[in-house]
Order: sequence, then C-alpha cells, then structure tokens
Amino acid sequence: MLKQLSDWLDNRTGYKHLISETLDEPVKGGARWKYVFGSAVTTAFMMQLITGIFLMTAYSPSSSTAWGSVYFISYEMVGGWFVRGMHHFGAQAMVILLFLHLLQVLIAGAYHAPREVNWWLGMVLLFITLGFSLTGYLLPWDQKGYWATKVATNIMGLTPLFGAQVQKVVVGGSEYGNQTLTRFFGLHVGVLPGLLIMTLAAHIMVFRRHGVTAPKSSTGSEPFWPKQVFMDTVASVAVVGVVAFFAIAERGAPLDAPAEPSSSDYPARPEWYFLSLFQLLKQPAFAGENEIIGAIIVPGAIVAALFAFPLLEKFIPRKLAHLLACGLVFGLTGAAGLLTMQAMTADSGDADFKISRDKADVARRRALFLAGNPKAGVPPEGSRYLLLNDPLHTGQQILEQKCLSCHYFDGKGVMERGKDGKKVMTRQVASDLSGFGSRGWVRGLLDNPSDTKYFGTTPQCGGMKRWKKTSKLKPDELDKVADFVASFAKVGNEETIDDWMTKEDVTKHPGLELFKKDCGRCHTVDAGGALGEGGEEEAPNLFGWGSPRWIQRMIRHPEAADRYGFLEQKGQMPGFDETELAVREMTVLMKLLKGDYIPNPPEPAKAGSH
Amino acid sequence: MGEPPKEKPVTEPNRRSFHKFGSILLGSIIGAVLTIPGIGFILSPILRKTDAEDGESTGDGFQALAKLSDLQEGIPKVFPVLGKVKDAWVQYPEEPVGSVWLVRKGEAVDAFSAECPHLGCAVSLGPDGNSFFCPCHTSAFTLEGKPNNPVPPRAMDSLEVVLKQTPASDETEIRVKFQRFRTAIPEKSPLA
Repeated sequence: MLKQLSDWLDNRTGYKHLISETLDEPVKGGARWKYVFGSAVTTAFMMQLITGIFLMTAYSPSSSTAWGSVYFISYEMVGGWFVRGMHHFGAQAMVILLFLHLLQVLIAGAYHAPREVNWWLGMVLLFITLGFSLTGYLLPWDQKGYWATKVATNIMGLTPLFGAQVQKVVVGGSEYGNQTLTRFFGLHVGVLPGLLIMTLAAHIMVFRRHGVTAPKSSTGSEPFWPKQVFMDTVASVAVVGVVAFFAIAERGAPLDAPAEPSSSDYPARPEWYFLSLFQLLKQPAFAGENEIIGAIIVPGAIVAALFAFPLLEKFIPRKLAHLLACGLVFGLTGAAGLLTMQAMTADSGDADFKISRDKADVARRRALFLAGNPKAGVPPEGSRYLLLNDPLHTGQQILEQKCLSCHYFDGKGVMERGKDGKKVMTRQVASDLSGFGSRGWVRGLLDNPSDTKYFGTTPQCGGMKRWKKTSKLKPDELDKVADFVASFAKVGNEETIDDWMTKEDVTKHPGLELFKKDCGRCHTVDAGGALGEGGEEEAPNLFGWGSPRWIQRMIRHPEAADRYGFLEQKGQMPGFDETELAVREMTVLMKLLKGDYIPNPPEPAKAGSH
Repeated sequence: MGEPPKEKPVTEPNRRSFHKFGSILLGSIIGAVLTIPGIGFILSPILRKTDAEDGESTGDGFQALAKLSDLQEGIPKVFPVLGKVKDAWVQYPEEPVGSVWLVRKGEAVDAFSAECPHLGCAVSLGPDGNSFFCPCHTSAFTLEGKPNNPVPPRAMDSLEVVLKQTPASDETEIRVKFQRFRTAIPEKSPLA
C-alpha cells in the first residue's frame, strides 16, 4: 500500500531520483571530517531561519513597539528567552563557522580553478551574513543596537560619490526611527534570506559540479549517504549544542535599555566580530580626513584581495599564489585578533567607559524591571517613555544635570571634570534636596539651619540662622511646628488659600499658634497676614511650601517676591522656563522629590552608585 | 574506504546502518531542540497564566455604570465599561473596553453584555426600539435578552447587577460586573 503510494508519487514527481541524486552524490576519496564545515554553516543558517520565523510571529518593527515586543518575547512568552537566545548566539556561530569554512577552503586550495566562481559565491554569502548581523543588531531597538547601527550607517555615508544618498535610503531619512526599523526588518527577514537561499543554492550546485577538493593521495569515492551525512550531522549537533549551551548559560540574549537618542554618554560598541574594524578606526593614522581610509578603503581593499585570490595564479605560479593568499589571510586574522584585543583592553582599562557602562546597566535593569511591573508596564506612547516618564531614572538625570551644580542630593553633588582634568564633586552652595518638603527635612531645619543640608552653604540665607539664635521654642514645640509646616506640602494644585485656611486640619492644628508667633514674624502665608504678618526679615511665602505648586513656582520664578526675590541678584537661584525645563521634565522631577515612583527591588543595588 | 579488504564484508553493513540511524537520530535531536521551544513559544497564549490573574480588577469587579435615574422604564440604554488593558507588552491606562445594555424594570435593572453570543459582534437596538438586534448575522433578542430568532445559540449574556445607594446623595448607583463569555455555544461560559 505504502509502496504503491510512493510509486504513484514518484511517477508523478520523480522525487526518488531527486533524493538519490542528492544522497548518492559520490564523495571523491571518501567521507572526511574536514568536509563538514559547509554543512555546519548550512545548519547554522537553518537554525537562524527556524528561530527567526518563530521570532517574527512576535516581533513588532516600530520605534515605539520594537523594544516592548522583544521584552515580551524574552521575559513573558513561553520559551521565548531560549528561542531568542538561540537566534542571538546562532548568528555568532554562523559568522565563526563561515570563517572556519573559509579557512578550510583556503588551506585546501579549493578556490583554485575551476572553482573560482564558488569562491566568489562564498564571499557573497559571507557578506550577506554580515548584512544579517548588521540589520538584526538594530531590531530590538535597544541602546546597544541603536548606537551601533548609527555608527555603522554613518560609516556607510562616508563612501565617496553616493554614500550620503545610500545612507539616507537605508536609514529611511536622516533620522533613525520607524522607517529605519521597517527597512532593516524587511532586509533582515525578506531580502537577505531570499538572497542567501538563492546564493546558497548556487553555491551548492557549483560545489556539486566540481566536488570536494580531495587530497592528492586519496583514491576512489564513496556516496554522500550515509557516512558523510553522519559526519555532517555530528558536526551540526555540535553546533546546535554549543549554541544551546550559550543560550542557556546566558539565559537568552541580552536586551539593553530602550533606544534613547538623547543619551549623552552611551558607550556604543559593535558586536565582537566587528571590534577589529572599530579599533582600526581609532588608529591615529585614520583620524580626520584619513577616516575614509580606515573605514572604507582598507576594508574594501581586503575584500577586493579576497575576491582576487582565484585569479592570482594567472599571473604568478600557483604555489606562490597559494602561499600569498594564505599568508594574507593569516596575517589579517592575526591583525584583526590584535585589534580586537586592543579594543577590549582599552575598554577594560578605561574608568570612564566603565562608569558609562555601569550607568547604562542601571538604566537597563530599571527598564526591564518597570516593563515587567504590573503598576508600570510599557506605556502606549512607546518603550522609550518607560524610562522618560520614570521619576527615578529621568528625574534623577534632570536633577544631576540642572540642579546639582548648586544643590546637593543625599549629601552628594555630581562629579565634574575640573580644569586640571581631574574629576571633583561640585561645591554645594544651596540646600540638600533629598526629602525636601518632608517633615524630617523641616524638623532638621528647625534644629540646625546652619547645617550644610539647609542654609549652611548659602551665604545670603541667614534669616533662619538668626531666628535660631533667639528662638525659645522647646523640642516638643518644634515637633508641632514641623508637623504643621510639613502639612503644607499636601496643598493641591487647584486649592485656594481661603479654602485651605478654613480646613480643620489648619484651624485646629496644634502647631498653628506656635507657627504664627515664631515663623510668622518673617514669613507670610496668606495676603491678609492671618497666619503671619512677616516683615521682621524678608523671607519667602510659605503657602503650599514643599508641595509641587510651591516647588514649581520656585523653579520657574525664584526671583518672584513671594520666593527669594529679596536676595541679591548674584545669590539668587537661576529660573528655569519651559524651554529649559519642559513640562514633562518638571512632572518627573516633582515626582522624584516627592518620592512618588516605583522603588527598585532591593537585591542587586550595588552598581547604582556613580 | 581505506579499510583492509578482508574486513569489508563483515563491517560494512553494520557501519552503514550505524551511520544511517545515527544521522536520523541526531538529525531528529537537532529538529527537536529547534522546534519544541518554538512550539511552546507559539502556544504561549495557552500555556501562560492569563493576565487577568495579575490584573487590577478593583476589588469585586463591579463598577458603577450609571444612576438609576438615568434610565427610563423599558427603554434600553448602552453604557461603556472601563478597564485597564494590557495588550501583550503595552499597558494602556483606563479606557472603554466594552459596552453594556441596561434595561430598567421598576426598581430593578437588567444588564446585558453588548457582545453578541453568536459570533461576538456588537448588539444594537432593533429598528422598533423594543428589541435587540445584531447587525452582523441578524441575531435578534427581546428586551429580556431572550432569542427572537434561531440565529443566536443562547440568550444575550446577562451580567450581575448591584444597586447601591450612594451615601452623598439619594441617588441609586447601578454597579455591574462586566465579563466576557465564549461565543457560538449554547452554554454561557466565562472567558479566561
């Protein structure tokens, strides 16, 4: 029955002949382990094809969704980490195996006539594979892929004549975004696989025409099936096994923080097998105008030389040509190895690189934590806003960039490079903002206004210090005042002073009378002076002190009469209007100061210091 | 190849079958390593615990849709249901996720999911204003939600309703527990 069916099918399709053609192909000189490289590369490619198709069913190519979908694949979908891990390490295996295959073919002299065309097809396959890795690297739209791709496409733009146009077409404009991703995705999953399959088919076809390059001493032949197939399969198992080992050991593929075009210190590095080219560009010889030599001409010349190998024998004796070809490849491999090591040691010895990388890792962990937190999750605006809207991440950044050149936070300023090139902490000339507006902050101030946390380093703000010298309030009374003042921070954005003043929380507060008597001598709250007439010394108005509305006005208009307008110009805080501090930035900054954010989980808190 | 000729008749068939079976076995292992995790990947929606379990359905799952005074006796009115939606990796803020028909009967209220039990289209009001009608495959229902023709497999999906006096005013709040049900089957079986 089965026989009848297969006979029928064979009669209609001729498949049996096709199979025997494939499997009974004679291997000159018999099966050998050294012929496995081609099949191993093919297996690696099949692995990429299978895992890639799975990934394609879950990936979403747009700048707002790519990172989130890759996060979802890696951390939420069943086996997603493994599938993506296999794809990630499989890509590297493919590059390594291609290189080994190239070396094997080179040493065996399998590029000589009549196999020139197959050498060239192999070269094309190598470039298609590098195209895969270049386009694939960008797809997660994380910091690593974003910056590496930016550099790679800018190098492309260096190409004489039409480089700029090619770059614009590949990137889909001059900005990196949705069009870049859709184009890279299309190349990665459509164009390149098509090209690779066609070229691979031609490569195998041409290979079959000429057969293996057997050693001269060998005689006879043996069919491909089963011995050579077995050897190839063993090699393939080794490839899949090693890739699976890495995928499991590393718990999948890495995912950096979402791409952030405004990053100022992201330490971009290409994939390790491009590190030699990366390092080449850092050589002083290729600086400035000579950049194009390191970026295009040298790699281009190497490629041209590789392509020319089979033609050398037309001009010089075959043996010499072979020696030259092998010498060049081994020399280049050595040089590339050296450059790669140089690149790695340069980074590991560079303290600034380490600081930036640590910072990037803090962002990465924060993004992954927020994406998986049911109270956060990737916002609809896009993955980038996961961190942009996060008070802890972005608020802290704004604080460091805009506030900590004068203020301190938690006893620290920021490290800045002095004129002598050494990094020093900024000098504190204003209060410490951590806990600003909280009861603890107020109570501390009432205890010791001269502390560096308060007005100790602020030359003009002596009012509180002078009050402290004369005040007779006892600690329990100071407690009540602190309670009262800390309650100001709860004043809502829409609340009017009249509404607030009639609240029982205010009218019956135990600290109210003490506040009027002591604080009210200098500070005002309401215009009528019910809570304090002020006047003894100039002082800011305290209505809503410590609340977002008070702080916002302080940031936008520190020179206002109800803030610190009474100080001399040079002692005043500079104001920040909406061009200097956008509304969104103000919002996250407020939330940071109010502690209104999802705290990090306690475990790996070590790397968080800068 | 390369073997001493005398051994050939003995070892060749064994060796051949070793290579054959070895190739097939190892090939299958490669296939399994690559496809089994992938199949799990594709089956994620079935294998993963549902999002509803870690979602934040506030308390008992009931939400106020309207006040009793918004409804007139026997005149159905449709109201949106709000919910926080997690669409794969994207967390949306609270927004309308479905609609509910409310029909007042004296001091009681019937609530029906506007999702047709047939194939999930949105059920609207019939042209007479006195029945429900689905514009997709013409399912028709009475105002009590009972099938009016043989198209729908069951009655409209009624939802649990609680009427609650609000403390501030003397209004009665209509609180409904919104749920989705499997379509196209005679039983009313909740989804997820």
